[in-house]
Amino acid sequence: MKKNLRQAVWGLILVSPSFLLLLVIVVIPIGRSIVSSLVNESGGYDLSRYAFLFTDKGMRANILFTLRVTVISCALVLAVSYSLALYMRFSSGRLSEWIRKTYMIPLFIPGVIATYGLMNLLGNHGWLARLLLPLGIDLPRIIFDQKGIIIANLWFNIPFATMLLTSALAGIPASIIESAKDVGAGRLRIFLQFIFPLSYKTFLVALTFVFMGVIGSFTAPFLLGPNAPQMLGVSMEQVFGVFREHEQAAAMAVFTFLLCSVLGYFYIRNMAKEESGRL
Amino acid sequence: MVRMNKSLTVLSAVTLSLAVLAGCGGKDDGSKNAATGTASPSGSSASPSASASSGDPVEFQFYFTGSQNVKDLWDTLIPMFEKAHPTVKVKEVYVPPGTGAQPTYDRIVAAKQAGKGAGGIDLYEDGINVVTQGGKDDVWDKLDASAIPNLANVAAATMGDVNNLAVPYRSSAVVLAYDSARVSEPPKTMDELIDWIHSHPEKFAYNDPSTGGSGSSFVTTVLYKDLPESAIHDSDPSIMKQWDGGFAVLKDLGKYVYGKGIYPKKNQGTLDLLANGEVDLIPAWSDMVLQQLNEGLLPKTVKLQQITPGFNGGPTYLMVNKQSDKKEAVYQFLDFVLSPEAQSVIVDKMNGFPGIELTHMPQQMQDKFKGVAEGFRTFNIGDLGTEINKRWQSDVAAQ
Repeated sequence: MKKNLRQAVWGLILVSPSFLLLLVIVVIPIGRSIVSSLVNESGGYDLSRYAFLFTDKGMRANILFTLRVTVISCALVLAVSYSLALYMRFSSGRLSEWIRKTYMIPLFIPGVIATYGLMNLLGNHGWLARLLLPLGIDLPRIIFDQKGIIIANLWFNIPFATMLLTSALAGIPASIIESAKDVGAGRLRIFLQFIFPLSYKTFLVALTFVFMGVIGSFTAPFLLGPNAPQMLGVSMEQVFGVFREHEQAAAMAVFTFLLCSVLGYFYIRNMAKEESGRL
Repeated sequence: MVRMNKSLTVLSAVTLSLAVLAGCGGKDDGSKNAATGTASPSGSSASPSASASSGDPVEFQFYFTGSQNVKDLWDTLIPMFEKAHPTVKVKEVYVPPGTGAQPTYDRIVAAKQAGKGAGGIDLYEDGINVVTQGGKDDVWDKLDASAIPNLANVAAATMGDVNNLAVPYRSSAVVLAYDSARVSEPPKTMDELIDWIHSHPEKFAYNDPSTGGSGSSFVTTVLYKDLPESAIHDSDPSIMKQWDGGFAVLKDLGKYVYGKGIYPKKNQGTLDLLANGEVDLIPAWSDMVLQQLNEGLLPKTVKLQQITPGFNGGPTYLMVNKQSDKKEAVYQFLDFVLSPEAQSVIVDKMNGFPGIELTHMPQQMQDKFKGVAEGFRTFNIGDLGTEINKRWQSDVAAQ
């Protein structure tokens, strides 16, 4: 009994540094943001700042725009990353060797520099437009448009997602796939019934990371995006820094946080299910 | 024994991490102290040593913020001054932009309210908003030409604008920058400019007004186009109703500007478009254009043109803290800054207009600013600028 107690106390003491750190840099700021987001213009407390998010035409457009860009980006990033990972796992040609060697490069290029690079490449008079000009191809507007933001998101997120998925696919034993082949399963069947279920968890992890990264992004949407509608990150900065409406910015931050926590909830629930299934 | 060892290790690990945490906390406290009180110790410790013997140089603290070019400017001017005035030392405190401009002002006010004197900030540099704000809070010293002889070189109207509470030591204005290879006759009035934009679709761009002063100046100038001249010094919210006409014009222009409604971010955004030839005409800060012409970043064919009545332009001000006990030294410094010699350095380094009237400057300087340094207007509309940005975002950008 005494020993148990002592162990429990030790346990608490050991946990406390990380807990305190979390409390100071995460929990308290979130709490303060929530409180300040509830302050209305006359200083009282109500939900008017949140009501504004959904009643103001521009703000509503911003939210829908952010969700659209995020969903499209997530879908494209995961589609590309998953195909790359699959290709690298099951093909051993020279091309897959090259992909393996080079796909991480974007991770090492600073975001602002990559964004300016994209502007120069895809802009109205950019390199791509100049290369395509002799062929008579006219590019649609990419920069200052949602297409620009989505392309930038692909650039920023594909390497990391591919890295996660590659390691997940590497963990699938070749014996499973070979034995399935032996009993005559087709490629599609192998993919749907073995590979995808076995890498599904990592897929969800990758989705969570990409989603959170994109929904809170600032640099690329600020430099590449349209003036209106804006991504929430850009709008938040404008409301906070230019309009000086700290409470409204806090409400937007809390709303973004809620959007992320929806995904976080599914993610955690799934992990927990997995854990309990294993026991 | 082994257990003992283990618990010792654990204990040391805990103390270590606690120490790290405490360190973080301590640092926080430290910076808070620095924010509220640095000054009081340094102020009180500096003054006895300064007044102990009159032979010792008096050192005052000069806070300023801005881009790298502002820092380079003071790094040049201060040694020049100290060489000529061995009895005064200037301690420059550069606050990088975006991190501490507001806290600096807050410190001045806080020190005053706490009865702690100058709070260690004797001289401060900022724009018109802070001058006006400080006038309300009564923290700036009233300046006059008997203490600062060169103040007489500054236009009286400019000093009147700030009730003699600040020294406008340099300024720049928004002008039209155009590529003379493609535009032979740039517009000379706002109405001509609007006609030009209509007849040359997608060849004009102005930046998002919340991200840079040149776009903001264009927007403000359009809004106040048909309003009485006195309106640009009026910060009373009742005038907001009269913006409707201007916003209708801006909304309509959306179809004719670059990309049928694309407003690049930052002052540099439109300059980039001018540099690569996507547009022919933009509103831009004169100092940025002149500097980039010097560096070859803009084609040599780019020229400047002010319209009448002019775009927004404005001085950057130096304010003396009313609570400062080293005003004599600060006055000497201000007198130096306003001398033609120092002003020439400002013009060379910053491509800004001199703070003193052009007639007091050497002839070649006068030539350089011909047609550019004249005619800009100083808008002093206080917080209404924020309202303009807000309404622009919802009415014009998101139309």
